[in-house]
Amino acid sequence: MSTDHDHNQDPLVPSEGRSVMARRALIGSGVAVGAAALVALKGGVSLAGNGGRAASASSVPDTMMTDTSDAMAAETTAAASGSGDLGVAALAAGLEVLAVSTYQQALDAAGTGALGEVPPAVSEYVTTALAHHQSHLEAWNLAITDNGGTAVTEPNATLAPVVTEMFGAVTDVAGAAMLALELETIAAHTYLSAIPLIQSPEYRGLAGSIQIIDQQHQSVLLFALGEYPVPEVFQSTDKAVAA
Amino acid sequence: MSIDDRRLDELIVESKDLQADAMRGSASRLADVGDFAHDAGDRRPDPEQLARFNEGRAETGRRVFAEMGTGTKLLAGGLIGGALATILGRPASADEALDVQILQTASSLERLAISTYSAALALPFIAEGNATVIAFAETTRMQHDEHRAAFQAMTETLGGPIQDFANPVFQQVVNEAVPTLTGPLEVVVLAAAVEKVATDTYLKNLQLLEDTATMSLFGSVMGVESQHLAVLRAVQALLEAELPDLIAIPTDLAALPAAAGSASFPEPFETIDETMIAQPESGAVQ
Repeated sequence: MSTDHDHNQDPLVPSEGRSVMARRALIGSGVAVGAAALVALKGGVSLAGNGGRAASASSVPDTMMTDTSDAMAAETTAAASGSGDLGVAALAAGLEVLAVSTYQQALDAAGTGALGEVPPAVSEYVTTALAHHQSHLEAWNLAITDNGGTAVTEPNATLAPVVTEMFGAVTDVAGAAMLALELETIAAHTYLSAIPLIQSPEYRGLAGSIQIIDQQHQSVLLFALGEYPVPEVFQSTDKAVAA
Repeated sequence: MSIDDRRLDELIVESKDLQADAMRGSASRLADVGDFAHDAGDRRPDPEQLARFNEGRAETGRRVFAEMGTGTKLLAGGLIGGALATILGRPASADEALDVQILQTASSLERLAISTYSAALALPFIAEGNATVIAFAETTRMQHDEHRAAFQAMTETLGGPIQDFANPVFQQVVNEAVPTLTGPLEVVVLAAAVEKVATDTYLKNLQLLEDTATMSLFGSVMGVESQHLAVLRAVQALLEAELPDLIAIPTDLAALPAAAGSASFPEPFETIDETMIAQPESGAVQ
């Protein structure tokens, strides 16, 4: 495990510090897809706006704006146009905000004893997953702000109230793990669903690199819940929210 | 306890309805690809595609040889490096569609994975070992075979010949490694390396592919390979901690070491190791 990763997990490191380290970690790796995306951004690569790619893309703009992304558009200037790569970035950022806030709630609840006895592996998982989603959020917000938008700071407006209500019903580790599994599944399915819609190869890579981590989070959660950790032969998009 | 996720599911169903036209199921995707291939005719990679692919080749070669020189972590690095050196010496061929090459190479990686798990299952200390590990190896082999079939079907749909042999570069590494394996931990490390190659190759492919249906297929398979990798990393951590009894479903959650909560994902983003990916033409049908 790299030192940078350890720093990213360290709750004593301020968020700003983690952000800087996350960028350093990515850029330092030289070959990371995420790094490529960030470096490309610094080099002036722009997020695509409206417009299609390849034969099927002509149908994309009409279907990219949904209730969910409409909500995102209301929250961020970046999503004002609500379509294209920028719309996907805003949607992704909104899901990441939701994940960060939910894991933070879980961490807080565990700290107060509200979830009962929390096994060490679960504590480690929650801390790690929280740091991961924070890094994902920062990557998408960097993409948005470098392209003239405003960073997304609010959770996905459609899902947030439901998740809040569901979290209110959580009383133990298993319940928290099931809610986390649901969120990770939604996120991974959404990224997979969005990848063919993203015009920029760099951002397809970024979305894919995050999709992988969210899939892996699911495997650990499934294992913790006593279920088979690779339940699908092909990852589906059943729970994707529309980009 | 259980949580009521019906409302989330309802929201998702609404969302799915809205994007149904944009994202289709695998079967229709294959049909669409067929239409696309028909429309495209003798589609060849455009110069920008090839330039993008070739861009990192020289650097990859330098890195491979540097890895070999320092004798680092790369599994059987010399073998990988030597084989890659041959490949890297050839420029990408412009007379084949890049997407077809990528699909053929993906099929070769799936064949590689199938043969690796078969070899592992034949080892006495695996065959007579942990039942959960055996079940995982058998299930994972089956999943890779499904992936192989899907990649081959997509290859045919795009008008190319299917690849049905294991990737020669990495198969050589596996062939050399298998006789030296002396215990489950080494097998898990080898399997994890194979899954890492597949995961990272498919992630890289997302940036190279032009056809959106093929892209969706790669993303879907990549998501599953990455889970295989996550499981193997967790199993590796438990074996290294000398806690093989915890490799069970269900496991004893309370007894798991803290590392089990993070060992599956060493970075917040999947990081491509350029020395551990299969270049698009490495498994292409000649």
